[in-house]
Parts: sequence; structure tokens; C-alpha cells
Amino acid sequence: MLSLFAPTLLTTPALALEWLADYADEGVFVLLFGVAVGAAVSMVAQRNPLYSAISLVFVFMALAGLYLLLAAPFIAAIQVIVYAGAIMVLVVFVIMLLNVEEEERRRPLRLRLLVPAAVVMAAVLFAESAFILYFVHDAAAERAQAAGASTVGLTSSIGAGLFTTYLLPFEITSALILMAIVGAMTLARRASDIRPTDVVVPGSMVLARHTLTPEPDVDSTPVHARSTGEAGRELGLAGAQYRNEEEE
Amino acid sequence: MEWLNNLIGPSAARGLGQLVGINVAFIGVLMIVAYTVLAERRILGFIQGRLGPNRVGPGGMLQPFADLLKFILKEELVPDQATRFVYMLAPIIAITAALMTIVVYPFGPEVHIPFIGPVRLTIARFDVALLYVLAITSVGVYGIALAGWSSNNKYSLLGGLRAAAQLISYELSLGLSLVGVVLMSGTLDLYNIVEQQSGWLGLHWNIIYQPLGFFVYLISAIAETNRVPFDLPEAETELVAGFHTEYSALKFALFFMAEYVNMFTVSVLATTLFLGGWNGPGVAQFPLLGVVYFLLKITFFLFLYIWLRGTLPRFRFDQLMNFGWKFLLPLAIVNVILTSAVVYFQFVRAQS
Repeated sequence: MLSLFAPTLLTTPALALEWLADYADEGVFVLLFGVAVGAAVSMVAQRNPLYSAISLVFVFMALAGLYLLLAAPFIAAIQVIVYAGAIMVLVVFVIMLLNVEEEERRRPLRLRLLVPAAVVMAAVLFAESAFILYFVHDAAAERAQAAGASTVGLTSSIGAGLFTTYLLPFEITSALILMAIVGAMTLARRASDIRPTDVVVPGSMVLARHTLTPEPDVDSTPVHARSTGEAGRELGLAGAQYRNEEEE
Repeated sequence: MEWLNNLIGPSAARGLGQLVGINVAFIGVLMIVAYTVLAERRILGFIQGRLGPNRVGPGGMLQPFADLLKFILKEELVPDQATRFVYMLAPIIAITAALMTIVVYPFGPEVHIPFIGPVRLTIARFDVALLYVLAITSVGVYGIALAGWSSNNKYSLLGGLRAAAQLISYELSLGLSLVGVVLMSGTLDLYNIVEQQSGWLGLHWNIIYQPLGFFVYLISAIAETNRVPFDLPEAETELVAGFHTEYSALKFALFFMAEYVNMFTVSVLATTLFLGGWNGPGVAQFPLLGVVYFLLKITFFLFLYIWLRGTLPRFRFDQLMNFGWKFLLPLAIVNVILTSAVVYFQFVRAQS
């Protein structure tokens, strides 16, 4: 193709611009593909968990770009909103909150058993991709050509599909996610720590109800005392804890 | 447009047109940002009974450029123990995510430009423009969170954590408050949504049908931009300056600009979705009037931001979370249910 266009490229800049515009798709694909693969490798290779998380965000962004090239803008937008914008933010949040240090250097012998398994898995994946490329791809392209312009990636067709043909799987998935949320909450709060009546606000401190709304019958009249120890004794608290040096 | 097509071909001409559009919009938005900063300082001065910057140029009009020059010429300080790569990356993410949404804003209707022909005053029309805006702005939180983490400073880290928690919490109600408008108009294309509001001499705005959605959107949007009264990530009374404590010179300027560009984005979305975009009386006769209406509505929202900053105190963090999860989110869900019920019954009535 390049040799075909090369002479005209040199003669007219107008045609060169046209050529660039026509092949922008391929250029963008190569760029996104490079970013996706590079970031994926970096995600696995990084020792710092935060760097891995950032790399994964780049993978998601590049994948969203690839979806756009496949004429599926809705999937692309959802990919960024859900994965890059919500899930990975939570991952980064947790990494920051726990202040995870660099992963300790693993002994090289550990997990060596899994290396052949990984090679086999990769081979299977490659065989699968090759199969899809050489056999399935043609059939799908023929069908798409027969059907005329494709509406697969449009928001309206995805919505219609979700609420008619795929309603049951859609509802089951949402029920599953809801169950997962409830399960996570049940696992996260230990029964002894928090009672069901306690006030729990997402993202903030866990506060017992009596700290937020003090009971009215608590005696809050001031005690007259010259030192902390005296006040402690007055209130009937363990005096030893409150004794200060002056009194001794 | 014909002569340009003949000269360099249709797709190159389209690309050139988009390039020009992007540059014009980019410079325009940055100008608006610069003068929003000045307006904020002057109006805050007025609210607090002082003058504000009024020495550089007539009435302080050149103050933003003096500030920019100062930002460029200042020394760049990088904390010794900072994670350098992420520290550099964070402001880039913040400003990129803020500016990338410009391409889908509908700035005005189709206008006739001499020698060029009819031009729609939007750079790209996009099937899922609204989702695109939400997606890109949701990436902006990385800028703040990573800035807080990489500075290796307690206050910065706390600011970054607060920002991540706050933005995720309010993104839910923000997204749900827009569902009502989308249900009504049946499209995610911002240009189409604006065009649908052109009835009643250009006053047939969505806010008439979606007052609840507008209310929830406005509050969650203010929280999303980290502005008073939701400015906990940079609460200066508790966290020095929050996530950007360790940033100086141009990198600080990028965060600063990102915040104001985000304010602009929020104003554009509010205008487009609820206040009829460029629509107003007389736009059908004089299309360029639409741009004026659009900018006036934006100005109103930006003024609202400044006004709030001048008058409201800050939330406490648990109040913020309570408000977001227990008040705004249920309200947004009620709005979605109400709107879908009305849309459904209208559909049924139209069928029978």
C-alpha cells in the first residue's frame, strides 16, 4: 500500500494530508495497542503496588480507545467510568490508606511450579486468538456485510438488548452484585466491634451511636477540684491513674 | 467550505476545521478561566468589604497574566522524599482530564461564517457525549489522589484520601441526577439535548420538568469540583493546603487551572442539560445571540460558585458523607423513579 501512495505523497501535499486522514485509524490503533500491551507488562512487572494500579488505569484507558475504534462508544465510556473512574480509584484509595510499602523481594524459587502452567495457558490463548482470527472473523464480517450498517455498539441497541433479550441475565447479574456488596459488608464488620444500631458512614470514622447522640441522663454537672487526681477521687474513678506529681 | 474541500480534500478539511475549533475553544476556555480567577478575587473582596487586586491594568484586568508570569518564573520545588515520577504525573493528569471535555461542549447553534459557510459551534458530535464528559472528569480524581500520595507529606496524603472518598461518593448522585434529563430527551448527545429545548421562544428548558434533578446535580457538582462548602481535600484550616501542599510554581498553577476548568465544565453541563444551552428569545433569528446566552448562563453559574465561597462555611467530613449518601443519593433515585414513571405513562398514552 505504501509503495502505491509514495509517489503521490511526494507530489501533492493535499493528497498527503488526505492519506494521513484516511490512515488515522490504523495509526491510532497501533498507538493504543502499544500503550495497552506496554502498560499491561508494566503492571505485572512493577514492585510498587501503586505503580501497578496506575499501569492498570492506562490499560483500561487504552482498551476504551480500542472499543471506540470498534464503533462501540457506549462500551468505551462505561469502561472508563466504571473501571478507571470507580474501581481503580478505590484500589488506589486502599493502597494509599494502608500505605503499602514496596512488595518484598520474593525468593526466586517460589512459585516456580506455575511457570510451565503459565506457558501452557499462554499457548492456549494464542491458539484461540489465531483460531478466531482465521475462522470466526470471516464469518462475522460476512454477516455484518449482509446486515448492512452495524448498530451493535450504539447506546440504544445495547439498552434494548439489556431490557428485552438479556433481561434475565442482566437481573441475575445485578442481584449477584448486590449480594456481593452485602456479603462484603457482613465480612468487614466484626459482630463484636459494631452493633447493628451504630452509625456507620462510608469513608469516615466508625462512630458508636452514644458518641454522636449523648444520652440525656448522663450527669454532666461540673466538679470543683484543684487537680485532676482530686476530681478523679470526687467522681469515684481510680485515683491512681489521675494522680499527678504535685500531690506526692 | 467548498474551496477548502477542493484544495486539500474533504477529510483533511474536516480535520483542519476540528484543529482550528479545538484551538479556539482551548484558548477561549483558558481566557474564561483566567478571568474567573480575577472575578473571584474581586467579588470576594467586595463581599468581605475590601478591594481585591485592582492595580495591574485598568481595574486589575491584567492581573491574571501577571499571575501567570509569576507562576512560570517561580522556582520549582520538589520534596526530597517525593516519588518523582508520580509527583510530576499528577498535575498533568489533572489538567488533561479537565481540558479533554472541551471537544463536546455545544457552544452555540449553527452559525454562518463568511467564506467558510455554515458551522456548528461544537467541535465533535458524539453519540455518548454526556457519558464521555462523565468518564473524563471521573479520571481527574487520579490527579488529586496521586498528588497527595506522591508528595510524601501527611497533610497531602490526607487531602488526597479525602478527595478520593468524596469524589466517589458524590459521583453516584451526580450521575443519577442526570438520568432524568437523559430519560426525557432519549439521547446522550449534548447537541441534541440542547436542540430539544428550543421551544417556547427558546425558554422550554429542562429545569421546568427536572427541578429535583437540577438541585441534586448542582450540589453534587460543587462537591465534585472540591469547592466551598465541600473543599475538604484542601481545607486550609486543617490540612495546610491539602493535596497540593508540596506543589509550587507551574505545577501548582496546573492544579489551580484544573479546578477552574472543572468549574467551567460543571457550569456548561448545568447550562446544557437544565437551562437550555444556547437557547433563548431571538436565537432562531440571530444564531450568534445563542453564544451570548450560553456565556451569560455560564457566568451565572460561575458567579454562584464565587458567591457560595464568599458566604458558606465548610462541612465536617462525616456531615459531608451523611449528606451525600443519606440525602442526595436517595433524592436522586426518587427523581429517576418519578421521571421514568412519567415517561412510561406518556409512552403508554401515546400508544393508545
